[in-house]
Amino acid sequence: MGELERQRRLGADLVTLSTAELVGAEARRWRPWGFFRTRLEMLGIGGRWVVILPPLLWLIVFFLIPLAVVIGISFSESVVGQPPYLPLLTISSAGDVQLTLHLSNFVFLTQDHLYFDAWFSSLKIAAISTVFALLVGYPMAYFIARSSDRVRNILLMLVILPFWSSFLLRVYAWIGFLKNNGVINNFLGLFHIGPFTMLQTDFAVYVGIVYTYLPFMILPLYTNLVKLDETLLEASADLGARPIRTFLSVTLPLSVPGIVAGSMLVFIPAIGEYVIPTLLGGPSTLMIGRVLWDEFFANRDWPLASSVAIAMLVIVVAPLMLLQRAQNAVVER
Amino acid sequence: MLDKPEIAADTRPWRDPDATPFVKIRNVTKKFGDVVAVSNVSLDIYKGELFCLLGGSGSGKSTLLRMLAGFEDLTAGSIEIDGQDMAGVPPYRRPVNMMFQSYALFPHMTVWANIAYGLKRDHLPKPEIEARVAELLHLVKLEGYEARKPNQLSGGQRQRVALARALAKRPKLLLLDEPLGALDKKLREETQFELVKIQETTVTFIVVTHDQEEAMSLSTRIGVMNQGEIAMIGEPPDIYEFPNSRFVAGFIGSVNMFEGVVTEDEDDHIRVRSGEAGCDIYVSHGVDCAPDQILWWAVRPEKITLTREKPDDDYPGANLTHGVVEDVVYLGDMSVFQVLLDSGTRIRVTKANSLRGDPNAISWDEPVWASWSGNAGSVLTS
Repeated sequence: MGELERQRRLGADLVTLSTAELVGAEARRWRPWGFFRTRLEMLGIGGRWVVILPPLLWLIVFFLIPLAVVIGISFSESVVGQPPYLPLLTISSAGDVQLTLHLSNFVFLTQDHLYFDAWFSSLKIAAISTVFALLVGYPMAYFIARSSDRVRNILLMLVILPFWSSFLLRVYAWIGFLKNNGVINNFLGLFHIGPFTMLQTDFAVYVGIVYTYLPFMILPLYTNLVKLDETLLEASADLGARPIRTFLSVTLPLSVPGIVAGSMLVFIPAIGEYVIPTLLGGPSTLMIGRVLWDEFFANRDWPLASSVAIAMLVIVVAPLMLLQRAQNAVVER
Repeated sequence: MLDKPEIAADTRPWRDPDATPFVKIRNVTKKFGDVVAVSNVSLDIYKGELFCLLGGSGSGKSTLLRMLAGFEDLTAGSIEIDGQDMAGVPPYRRPVNMMFQSYALFPHMTVWANIAYGLKRDHLPKPEIEARVAELLHLVKLEGYEARKPNQLSGGQRQRVALARALAKRPKLLLLDEPLGALDKKLREETQFELVKIQETTVTFIVVTHDQEEAMSLSTRIGVMNQGEIAMIGEPPDIYEFPNSRFVAGFIGSVNMFEGVVTEDEDDHIRVRSGEAGCDIYVSHGVDCAPDQILWWAVRPEKITLTREKPDDDYPGANLTHGVVEDVVYLGDMSVFQVLLDSGTRIRVTKANSLRGDPNAISWDEPVWASWSGNAGSVLTS
């Protein structure tokens, strides 16, 4: 007791330190990592930080820093050389540090309607694909959620199964289906219908995107629908609502969070999709991902490509964040 | 059964053999795979009744209720409501509304929209819906809560919304699944009175409960269910005082049960020798039984009297046995005594605490005489 009394008189800081050491001593008796824990706690890094730190470092290194680099390049100017852009910071012979920011790339984006068209076309293709993914995915998710436990697990596995093969391979497979002498046209040919030109059209792009991103629509919808309390449906029927009415008044409104989550998971990556429009789409299929690719690799204009990327990020992510916030507000209320 | 005074204008249609039942349940059986949930149940329920289905968990009472609402198909038998066979009639076409055990309020709708839900499905004109909802909100004392969502209400308020929603369409038959389960005692009693008040209008109620006190205080009649079968149907006093089987006697209230053998079988009395009671039990009415038949004598704790001195046992109907008080539990309005009889059987006896701080009260470890009259208990043959 005398020891504690002495520590109390020594002041709060010292007491905290000795408590940490005491905890450390305690830990050392049991665990080999007690030493590190003690050191970390002396630095003010507790258990909470130990959990948060690795993902935080990961995000800083692999997301924030590259993003900052891209933003930096977007304010630079294109040159022929290595690297193909001017550095932002220059040190003159007199030793002055000079920061040069070029806004010309962003100005150029507003002047050439190619970028606006590509952006608008991307939004359109992503939006239409999302709607179709929802129309196809909702019934599937509903059916899976209402199946018996055993069937449900098999169906869920089937939904996830395509991920086990290469994405590129699956998109190539669609070429085999859609091309003029492909599986579908050959089959229709048996009945003397067609052939239809499907490959290298927007239609093929929609098919590719819906097919590829369907699991991302089904899984959040399924998680939502499986939680739906069945007595609510019974209560609705009991109060005189036919099954369709029950679906519209109870099931659908309660699954809105799932619809939003699934739609975002399809919509956001679909906007920047590059592989599918390149492989399945035609020359007229204009998407921002392809424009970006062209600027970067064909024109070697890194600053312009970076500004396209940044503009896309701002234009797409900002409204989605606002939507998410509105959604959360609704849920809380 | 004993003679009971008949009320001049009998309002109990189940006593009238010519009355038409409102709900006719005939030989209903429900199987889930190999499990029999409800087994060959037949039941008549009359207009304006508040019928309680009472039973433990897994007794099939909820399944029976769900079959009435149309959520479960019958494996066999038939259900008729208001003269109409319910076979193949979906829940949304039945003249029945149900209050769910979990309340099943729509979480995304306000209190107002929840109550109005059923009315909107009937495509009533808007002013009519508004008037009816306002009326119901008044009935369940929730005026001013229209715009709240269910998660902003307390358990008791949610329960009242559920009740209002179930009543909204003025159903001919209202089904309640453990309606008062989640409420504290005081709120429970209030709601019970409200339910009885509503019941006195024209609605017929079928209430499922595992709570015997609730069943006793609410119902016109009780159907006790056990393992999918109806063990007994009767008015609350009948169920309590004249149980027809050991299960019913043991399920409702507490009871002292003695096994015995018939030694004397007369028209006006029988005598049962019971080693468990430690005495011969004299029953002051005739019983349909054979000599040497094994039967059980069930007597409620409050029907037994404890005395320190041996009471006069001159009269023929006296039943008397001796024991020691093992435990006394004071419950305020009454005390419960656990008495170890000389035969080794333990019995429960309750005594109303009619005197304040009685200094002469029987206490621990005292030898006592337990006595009861010849018609205090029930003879049970099954």
